[in-house]
Amino acid sequence: MMPSENSFVQLGENEQVEIPKEDVKLFEKLSTDRRAKLAMGTTEDYLRMLEKMKELEKKGEIIVHHVEEDYKPQVVKTLSNREKKIPTEELWQHKSCGQCGHIPGYISALYWIMSELSIPFVDDTNQTSCTAWNYYGSGTSNSVALSAVFLRNMHVAWEKNAYPLIHCGTSYGDYKECRFLVVMSEDIRLKVRSILNKIGRDIVIPEELVHYSEWLHVVRERIAERRKLDLSQVKAAVHPACHTYKLMAEDYTYDEKILDGARPAPTSSIILALGAKLVDYSTWYDCCGFGFRHILTEREISRSFAYFRKIRPVVKETGADVLLTHDTGCVTTLDKSQIVALAHGYKETVPVISDSQFAALAMGAHPFKVCQLQWHLADWKPLLSKIGIDWQNAEKEYKEYIEAIKKGMKPSFIRSAPRKLQPRVNVSFAG
Amino acid sequence: MTEEKDEKGKFIVERKYVDDDRIIEPDKLEVGGIDISGRWGTLVLPRTIEEFDTSIYEKVLRLPRGKNIGKCWQCGNCTAVCPVAHAHPEFNPRYLIHIVKMGYRAEIDRLKEFVYLCSGCGLCSAACPKGVDPQGAMIAMSIAFKSKR
Amino acid sequence: MKNLNKESNDKVLVIGSGPAGLRAAMDLAELGIHVLLVEKRGELGGAPIRWKYHSLAPDFTPTEQVLGPMIEFCEKSDLIEVKRNSTVAECIGEAGNFTVTLNTPDGRERKNVAAIIVATGFEHFDARVDPRYSYGRAPNVIGINELEVMLSQGKVTGHDGKVPRRVAFIFCVGSRDRSTNPWCCTVCCGVSIKQAIELKQLLKDVQIYMIYMDIRTIGLWEKLYWDSMEKYNINYIRGRVGEVYYTGEKLLVKGEDTLVRGPFEVLFDMVVLAVGIEPGEGTRQISKVLGLNVNEYGFLAPKIPNVHFDSGKDGIYLAGTCVAPMSVEESIAEGSAAAMQAAKLMNRIKVRA
Repeated sequence: MMPSENSFVQLGENEQVEIPKEDVKLFEKLSTDRRAKLAMGTTEDYLRMLEKMKELEKKGEIIVHHVEEDYKPQVVKTLSNREKKIPTEELWQHKSCGQCGHIPGYISALYWIMSELSIPFVDDTNQTSCTAWNYYGSGTSNSVALSAVFLRNMHVAWEKNAYPLIHCGTSYGDYKECRFLVVMSEDIRLKVRSILNKIGRDIVIPEELVHYSEWLHVVRERIAERRKLDLSQVKAAVHPACHTYKLMAEDYTYDEKILDGARPAPTSSIILALGAKLVDYSTWYDCCGFGFRHILTEREISRSFAYFRKIRPVVKETGADVLLTHDTGCVTTLDKSQIVALAHGYKETVPVISDSQFAALAMGAHPFKVCQLQWHLADWKPLLSKIGIDWQNAEKEYKEYIEAIKKGMKPSFIRSAPRKLQPRVNVSFAG
Repeated sequence: MTEEKDEKGKFIVERKYVDDDRIIEPDKLEVGGIDISGRWGTLVLPRTIEEFDTSIYEKVLRLPRGKNIGKCWQCGNCTAVCPVAHAHPEFNPRYLIHIVKMGYRAEIDRLKEFVYLCSGCGLCSAACPKGVDPQGAMIAMSIAFKSKR
Repeated sequence: MKNLNKESNDKVLVIGSGPAGLRAAMDLAELGIHVLLVEKRGELGGAPIRWKYHSLAPDFTPTEQVLGPMIEFCEKSDLIEVKRNSTVAECIGEAGNFTVTLNTPDGRERKNVAAIIVATGFEHFDARVDPRYSYGRAPNVIGINELEVMLSQGKVTGHDGKVPRRVAFIFCVGSRDRSTNPWCCTVCCGVSIKQAIELKQLLKDVQIYMIYMDIRTIGLWEKLYWDSMEKYNINYIRGRVGEVYYTGEKLLVKGEDTLVRGPFEVLFDMVVLAVGIEPGEGTRQISKVLGLNVNEYGFLAPKIPNVHFDSGKDGIYLAGTCVAPMSVEESIAEGSAAAMQAAKLMNRIKVRA
């Protein structure tokens, strides 16, 4: 026997075969390859796009906004075992229209967490909407316009020397698509460049597109350290957004230690880190029913779908205390659809909030001033009572706070820790 | 006014893809003092099949001319030669046998009246490669559908 | 061709002792040719013995009736040297004079052989790779290989020890699918239906649903399909399963019934996956050692696809499921065909010598 060259591979329970070590590596790699293959050609296409992006940067055709060491990145794995860098500091907050408009607690909770962790960020007023609502809802806009809006935002972030952190699943999905188009199509790239040049900007493509839930995933231990409430009796279910993990599946975070890498890691991981009970239900993979076009033209079906396919199974099968999700449309649909079914006489209901609101509550944030739960329709009172928050008192505090503002008191704002990085100045562009 | 009442779910843009029975549009509904009658309170029930209710299948098997429907392998030779199927898409001998064997309650309720469209010509039983006798199956099903649950 | 010394002049190496390898060894020995039979596992017989096949399709022939005599012959014959728990690590030389190095429990051994027959067989698709079916994560989800073992033992229960009342067989797991294996395993349909009938004979009240894409019981195996419906009341749903979810008590099988054009989500006690045939680690390894061509699917590629025994390399012949998915009867026939080619080669050498 020449043991140093060979290795034993397990075939079954009591079966082993001895093969050369290099072949073992081949065997193992096949398993990961297969998991990526299940996302069909999209994984290969995406990886090819990333290679092309590097080529274009080398040729000087585009600038790539790298996740540099200054952003204190942490590495995660994706579906195909690719390493993805998640910046943790000096973030450019790419806000969501829907969140700011309907669920303000979503982002104020996120800002509050960052402030608590002394993480510097840029809350820029110079951000435009990604316009992806248009695109997914009614097919208005076109690939050049969408890409131009995308790169305009990315350029602002690059100038400010802060790494874009995307709050909305819709924006994240749209930007994944636009980046693919801009990198792979020279035609689109030329047209977008001419648009950007008109406003004094040029093409800067981010090296990684980062969704805020991935940021929460990598800093979850730091959040857990600051946990003030006992969540051990709380059953939390997760609803993942279609645009984060189904659209261009290759980009999102997977972790072998969270749910055996069979499902995306974010949101589930924060529940586990905070010590709550993660519960599973039969329709985990189902869309929430929002559908963009569907909620415009078939809202009866959207609301019914959200209730019968998601809310009811979650409550009936798990008795969950809260349903966490990480996207604007999902929170809206799942939260606001329950009321009609309840009016019909159905009994199942569960509060729906974002992972950022949940984490902030766990860290001791005010349920109304910070987490803004008053905007949510499904009853969150039992949840707050369960985790030990006296919501009646909090309500009183909030009302007093509002009265004081009406009388002229300045509201308190959540501000970023002082920035360490300087914005880029005197940037010049090639052609 | 009556037209509006009959046209439930008419605001659903892809209305024709939704079965009437699945649309619940209440005339009067309110929640927390807000009136959500009509389209604001409309619910659409899911169409997922959740159980195999084989009680009708068992009844059909016990009837003399229904005893062979277990042999059906859904090839469609019967529907292919059926003259009634040309005029009436809801009369599909192969499909009627399928939903009875599988026990899809909702589909059976939706289509059971159509079994009476069978003309009794017997072309299906001649064409059937397995000896299912679909013509006899139609007779047996019509009896089984009528008998008490 | 060179002049050969006495030892290599009359020995054929047969790699793998499944139906193909056993048949090849037997045929050669019956012609008076020495055989070196190398098997990587501890017992002879290949898949039918490893997975304890209860019976063979299409006529429920007891496995021992077919495999027993072949195994007994190979074990007893003076002309067949059997090496268990051994693999072929290296091979140099050419037709008529190969020098192979074996890894055996007693260490490395060098042997001279005149011809080689590769019959390294297959592995079942590892359904853990396809997360749809929760195989390996949820209890009571098993493969047809595991069901076969239970049928031979006369006792079928789930991982929880309970006797199932409603069982689903899901066809085409790890086959006819670009994301796993694109080929058809030819025998799974027939084997699954055979098992469904045996299951019905064992558990009289069990309800069985076969969820299929196509039923490929070719040739005389068609009888299994007819009998399963007409004599044993086994139900067939044309459709595909999107997910198997463990509720904590039962398995929720979610799929679409194509003929209804609608989704179903029904609870079952047990789910049996028709896990397909795929090239195993043994085949992969042997292709490297012998320098054999492998097709895009990983099976050994004969010189011409329609002539399986011809590997394209002089003196090396292929047989059985290492070339393509096939039934036991076809593997046996291929073993004989490869043995014939090896015998012809031995004849040519003898004539020249």
